[in-house]
Amino acid sequence: MKLAREIRLLTMRKLLETWRQPTWVFMGLTTPLLYLVLFAPVLRRLAGAPGFPRGHVLDVFLPGVLCLIAFGAGMGAGWGVIVELDSGVIERLRVTPVSRFALLMGSVLRDTAMFLLPALVVIAVAIPFDYHPNPGGTATLLALLCLLTAATSAWSAALGLKLREISSLAAVVTGLQLPLTLLAGILLPLTLAPGWLRGLAHTDPLYYTVEAARLLSTGTIANWTVGEGFLVTAGLTVLTLAWATAKYREAAS
Amino acid sequence: MTAAIVAHELRKTFAARRRQIEAVRGIDLRVSAGEVFAFLGPNGAGKTTTVRMLTTLLPIDSGTAFVAGVDVGRDPVAARRRIGLVGQRGGADLAATGRENLLLQGQLYGSDRATAERRAAELIELFALGEFVDRRAQTYSGGQRRRLELALGLMHNPRVLFLDEPTTGLDPHNRANLWEQIRTLRESGTTIFLTTHYLEEADALANRVAIVDHGRVVAEGTPAELKRELGSQRIRLTPKADGTPIEEIAASLRTLPLVEEAQPADGAIRLTVADGARVLPALLDRLRERRIELDSLTLAEPSLDDVFLAKTGRALRDTGDLEQAP
Repeated sequence: MKLAREIRLLTMRKLLETWRQPTWVFMGLTTPLLYLVLFAPVLRRLAGAPGFPRGHVLDVFLPGVLCLIAFGAGMGAGWGVIVELDSGVIERLRVTPVSRFALLMGSVLRDTAMFLLPALVVIAVAIPFDYHPNPGGTATLLALLCLLTAATSAWSAALGLKLREISSLAAVVTGLQLPLTLLAGILLPLTLAPGWLRGLAHTDPLYYTVEAARLLSTGTIANWTVGEGFLVTAGLTVLTLAWATAKYREAAS
Repeated sequence: MTAAIVAHELRKTFAARRRQIEAVRGIDLRVSAGEVFAFLGPNGAGKTTTVRMLTTLLPIDSGTAFVAGVDVGRDPVAARRRIGLVGQRGGADLAATGRENLLLQGQLYGSDRATAERRAAELIELFALGEFVDRRAQTYSGGQRRRLELALGLMHNPRVLFLDEPTTGLDPHNRANLWEQIRTLRESGTTIFLTTHYLEEADALANRVAIVDHGRVVAEGTPAELKRELGSQRIRLTPKADGTPIEEIAASLRTLPLVEEAQPADGAIRLTVADGARVLPALLDRLRERRIELDSLTLAEPSLDDVFLAKTGRALRDTGDLEQAP
């Protein structure tokens, strides 16, 4: 009860902060649409090529874009953490009796909301252009990707609390972002990739999320790959939330 | 009087690249309820580290600390309910308005919205925030922001308020304003623990002062006691150049009562005296008897430099502090 109230208050604070930066809201909505407008047409030529999964181009491509939005929505959390370390906000909140988990969840839930909003817009926009989402599958897909956003948001926040410097944080986050997303086959499915690359992809937790996302989008829910995706993503979410909460508990200096 | 803060043998060591930094090396404290207690020392003396341990932000390596009757190490959550902290970096949420900051702070301490609104209204009145409280905090001047931050620290009526370098970075006008507000708090009975590296600040606000250096308390007492004990006053006088040789004048002044020292320096004489107000008439009489005319004469209170020098053998400005705000 007390925890739920604290989480609600702190999430409202973060949502209000985002709402007051309309540029970010605008960018968050337009960037995914750019993928649809500027990249999806290229893929149309690929459809039917050997190795390209069967089905409509957008049915393959769009779940990947949704994964990218989910991944990107959480990545920025660490920047906010460092800004609030510098202005003393985090220190002030840490002196209150508020649960450290609630301190973390404010930005995690804000980021989750900032994933859902553009994701719904992209889905709505894509439908007239030959995207065929399955309602049950899509709802499950969005639930899976909320877990992914929560995991990246907590991970980024924990890194911010650990590194305390924008430049170090940027180096780590952007350094990992590219290999993680490429290996996961986010934009082009890895069925096009040579065997060694497909093998390597199994070391990337995001790979399992993306694989599950493609199946879910077509309505396949009761499936081992989907289960695997949920297991890996939820496991990752639990681990990163625990790590970030521990960082809020100790955040020194 | 009951004790608001009792600390015994507090210690904190940080590990930094291949060496250990002992930030706090056995600090004992006893602050009575209703008292304003100043922790005075240069940056790097261990003031902030001590405050962070007392306010549950840093784990205590060894020793014990009780704040408002609660063992800080054993029950940090109970301690947090009873204390407020205005840290060096302030902590106002700049994207929110002052009022939003205050209401959230109150609600995070468990107040319902109506109670938080009533308390916020009191503090808006007390700190004269009304003019700007509904604007976003990022538009505030330094002084306005500091007042909001002080109000934030008081939203839940803490029994003990910690102020870490409350006036660093403020201009003299805002500093004077803030002093006035801290005095108001003192009169209302809030126990205040403040850190500062300004002797004048400790002098103006505190009932009691502890001087810290290298993680230890080197002197403690009321400002008057400390000044009497540590810093005699300084008199600097410059005789007209054509008269009696300066060494001779210095030797003559040295024999006056309450004069501890009289040294010639660069055509002037520097005196260290126990009580300037009583020495000056005798000093002027002596100069008149000997028909010595003066170009200038100044009387100065002991500065933190003098106090620090007397207690540590080092000058404050030689402590190699790069962080110190201008």
